[in-house]
Amino acid sequence: MSAVALPRVFLVDDHALIRAGIRAELAGHVEIIGEADQVPAAIEMIIERSPDVVLLDVHMPDGGGLAVLEGVVKTNSDVKFLALSVSDAAEDVITIIRAGARGYVTKNIEGPELVEAIIRTAGGDAVFSRRLAGFVLDAFSSKDLPGATTPPTLDPELDQLTPREIEVLRLIARGYAYKEIAVQLDISIKTVESHVSAVLRKLQLSNRHQLTNWAAERRLL
Amino acid sequence: MCSGVARRFGVPANTVRVFTVIGALFLGVGLALYVALWIGVTRRGEGESIFARTSSDKREKEILFVVSIAVITLLIALRTLGLHALGLFLWLLTLSALEGLVAWRGCSSDEREHLRDLANSSVLKATTNSDGWQGVAIRTGVGVVLALWGISLLSRVGYEQGAAAYVLVGAAALVLGLFVLFAPWWIRTVRDLSYERRARLRAQDRADMAAHVHDSVMQTLSLIQRAADNPAEVTRLARIQERDLRIWLANPEAFGTSTNPPTLLAQSALEIEREIEDNYGVGVDVVVVADIALDESICALLAAGREATLNAAKWSGAKDVSLYIEAEPGQVSMFIRDQGRGFDMESVPDDRQGISRSIIERMNRHGGTAVIRSSPGAGTEVELRMPRRPDTA
Repeated sequence: MSAVALPRVFLVDDHALIRAGIRAELAGHVEIIGEADQVPAAIEMIIERSPDVVLLDVHMPDGGGLAVLEGVVKTNSDVKFLALSVSDAAEDVITIIRAGARGYVTKNIEGPELVEAIIRTAGGDAVFSRRLAGFVLDAFSSKDLPGATTPPTLDPELDQLTPREIEVLRLIARGYAYKEIAVQLDISIKTVESHVSAVLRKLQLSNRHQLTNWAAERRLL
Repeated sequence: MCSGVARRFGVPANTVRVFTVIGALFLGVGLALYVALWIGVTRRGEGESIFARTSSDKREKEILFVVSIAVITLLIALRTLGLHALGLFLWLLTLSALEGLVAWRGCSSDEREHLRDLANSSVLKATTNSDGWQGVAIRTGVGVVLALWGISLLSRVGYEQGAAAYVLVGAAALVLGLFVLFAPWWIRTVRDLSYERRARLRAQDRADMAAHVHDSVMQTLSLIQRAADNPAEVTRLARIQERDLRIWLANPEAFGTSTNPPTLLAQSALEIEREIEDNYGVGVDVVVVADIALDESICALLAAGREATLNAAKWSGAKDVSLYIEAEPGQVSMFIRDQGRGFDMESVPDDRQGISRSIIERMNRHGGTAVIRSSPGAGTEVELRMPRRPDTA
């Protein structure tokens, strides 16, 4: 255990109480190399210290997590961001992911799960919460349901999920951990991870306007 | 500009200025010349003149060309209407205006800033802002002169040639005169009105916000203080408040006006979340994919799902229950999962068996299926699937 270097984590959140809580939960599992409560300070310190993972609060004054992410990525695109928020509004989630965050978790996540998510992010994999998986399924499903709030049709070339990816996302949305998904689908955890990373890539690269519009239209839940 | 010309010819700057103004008054020659010099001569400290800069840009050239053609066409059209009287003056005025356009398009940003300041400071300000007797005097003077000129032109209609042109110019002058006279008053009224409206809206928003915070957050906080020694109750209250606020933030207008009973899948799912969280102190985490309208069989599915969620909340011992609903073209599926103690399907006490049965039987009655997977220590998942009616699918 001690042979493995702990991921170096930087905290960005404008609430001191939340930072303290996260610190306490992560203690011993990751190395916290700094924290910031404002956008400009965060950008400066992250570029200076170049952590493995930035735990990023989405809602902050002066542009929020998005401003931090954009400010850092311009100079250093190696830093990985894991967004952390109390709000699950589709718009926020999709925007921060499309800006380059590797994942999105809600603040009521349990300590061990958060540690797992950080380690996964540090390893270059994607972290999908249940809700994010649900959003992606909703946004990418091209089915035309009568009376449904259907997302706009997407470019089939770039913007469709494979059946396997849909299966994996469904299980995430049902509350399965990666390990459980691997067992359920009889594949390795690595394969599960690569499916999720592929979905993240599609989410970030596919047809911009439609996804953003979809997220903006879908205000509830 | 004038000082530049003065330096070139060795005359005092103010003399040139005076001549320019006089020239401008007479047939606009001075004005046209002034602007022509302005754009044609290289400014001190800059590499090229405004005109050179503008004409080196293809797009700018096109814009200028099109505008010039349009203006000249318009002038020729007016001329055919008999506008001889104003001929030279109008041509020169037009030339000045075109040159002004070149200047505007071509000048650098600080020059533009300067121009804007100029426009804001002097005449326009005097005509649109009614503060001070000077502004009022200038405005009234200009307005009265324009109006009188317009009236006199109009009164000549019928006695002289080119009546159409007199009507046009006279009417335009009259309107302009009246506008100059009354614009400030009118603009201020409109501005005040919209400002008032905005202020009122803002005050209303603030009042709504205060009312909402009072009704929800303050009440909850006082309840939490009273229940401080009961962690489960505090958690329950905090959860209710959090959910309420989230719904309110997402859509403040619709808050509290949700249709009852709900007509959409996502609404109903939230309804289940609310009921179970409030009554059992267990978190229900709902994810809905593709919202659809409810029908009888989907209501049955939801009722079964509610039952299953209730079971999980009551018996599993888990802090959270995951609820996942997806509407596919052919069916609606619902998964209720907890990571609580689970149970052995074979050795279930009778009362719980009854509940499981009620879920399964309810689903079967409406043509759906229910599968319950559970083992001790590994949590429980209830899987419900309801085919969608052909007419709705």
